[in-house]
Amino acid sequence: MKLCSSAAVDTSLILQNLLTPPVLFFFLGVLAALLGSDLEIPAPLPKLFSLYLLLAIGFKGGLELQHSGVGGPVLLTITAAVLMSLLVPLYSFALLRWKLDGFNAAAIAATYGSISAVTFITAESFLDTLGLHHDGFMVAALALMESPAIIVGLLLVKLAAPSGADAGQGMRWGAVLKEALLNGSVFLLVGSLLVGVLTAANNPLGAEKMLPFTDKLFYGALSFFLLDMGIVAAQRLRDLRQAGAFLIGFSLGMPLFNAVLGSLIARGLGLEAGNALLFVVLCASASYIAVPAAMRMTVPEANPSFYISTALGLTFPFNIVVGIPLYMALVNRLLP
Amino acid sequence: MKRVDLILSERELDPVLQAIDQAGCSGYTVMRHVTGRGPRGAVSENMEFSGLGANAHVIVFCAPELLEPLRSSLRPLLVYYGGVGFVSNAEPL
Repeated sequence: MKLCSSAAVDTSLILQNLLTPPVLFFFLGVLAALLGSDLEIPAPLPKLFSLYLLLAIGFKGGLELQHSGVGGPVLLTITAAVLMSLLVPLYSFALLRWKLDGFNAAAIAATYGSISAVTFITAESFLDTLGLHHDGFMVAALALMESPAIIVGLLLVKLAAPSGADAGQGMRWGAVLKEALLNGSVFLLVGSLLVGVLTAANNPLGAEKMLPFTDKLFYGALSFFLLDMGIVAAQRLRDLRQAGAFLIGFSLGMPLFNAVLGSLIARGLGLEAGNALLFVVLCASASYIAVPAAMRMTVPEANPSFYISTALGLTFPFNIVVGIPLYMALVNRLLP
Repeated sequence: MKRVDLILSERELDPVLQAIDQAGCSGYTVMRHVTGRGPRGAVSENMEFSGLGANAHVIVFCAPELLEPLRSSLRPLLVYYGGVGFVSNAEPL
């Protein structure tokens, strides 16, 4: 009886998520691509919207971080998040090496160790729909989880390269670290977070003036961006045939495994439900912005069809459509 | 006069242009947002938001004696990152 009622709650969470405008627009994009519509969004616009989303989420996170402070639980949560971004690529790599060469395994492992900012933002919107509170320091965790996975991925490439191969010959560590720490999305996110903290501390009026831009436009911009992501994700589905059954299984199974692990850590950290969901989403998501760009530059031997298609064609849609409500149900069940 | 056509990912444009400068060529033309099909499938602008944009087409006109330094500075980049380069003869109008 209890199982039935839990299943009903889970279904209602999934429905609640499915019927939000951002997810519906995502489906619209998928449908447009699958039906062969000529709907096309000019290339600079998705870039603009992705930058806007990073700026807005960073700024809002900074405002909230200033109010919540960086006490013990905050630092513990951020440390756990960074540790997860170091750990996930390691066990993902071990699993992937079973079927793939070192280059592809390292690139995909790094992709899954890093995070998807848009999945995080969609989870925040989901929490707002449910009326569940979440804290700004989770944005700091988001920002700090982008880079470590890139560095671990590159170390894995160095370790796993066949002896005598020229892996990393052209790899300049200065350029690699620059790409990991200063790539546009990480830089804008961390920078906006700091601007938010400084504004909240010194100029509350300035923060208020930013609100129409960072708050009122946010939901519409997210919906528009997800429309484009739906088109791109559906186009990437074709590449999955090349990826094969093992990678398809990996791109659906790994988020679930990471979500369970993340939920247990969130429980250990004593996070409240909203923050716990965001922590789980960070653990379960995969990067399709910062990491693919870094991998393309540093591990050109790896096939981008593998690491982009798995993260963008399967894991991302899975997370925003089914994953987020599923993880919410998991968090609700595991948290005391 | 030689004409060199390079097709490469926009992401690696900076090191390629530096290599052309280092080879002593006095100029080049760059066309960004070049789409098409390569050995790894279609090249489009739909991943532009991630920094993995489309290709670039670089055209260099140079004196024949600059071809060898240009070749030796560009080839490692094309081999490492991927991309193609072709040389042809060109006559000024």
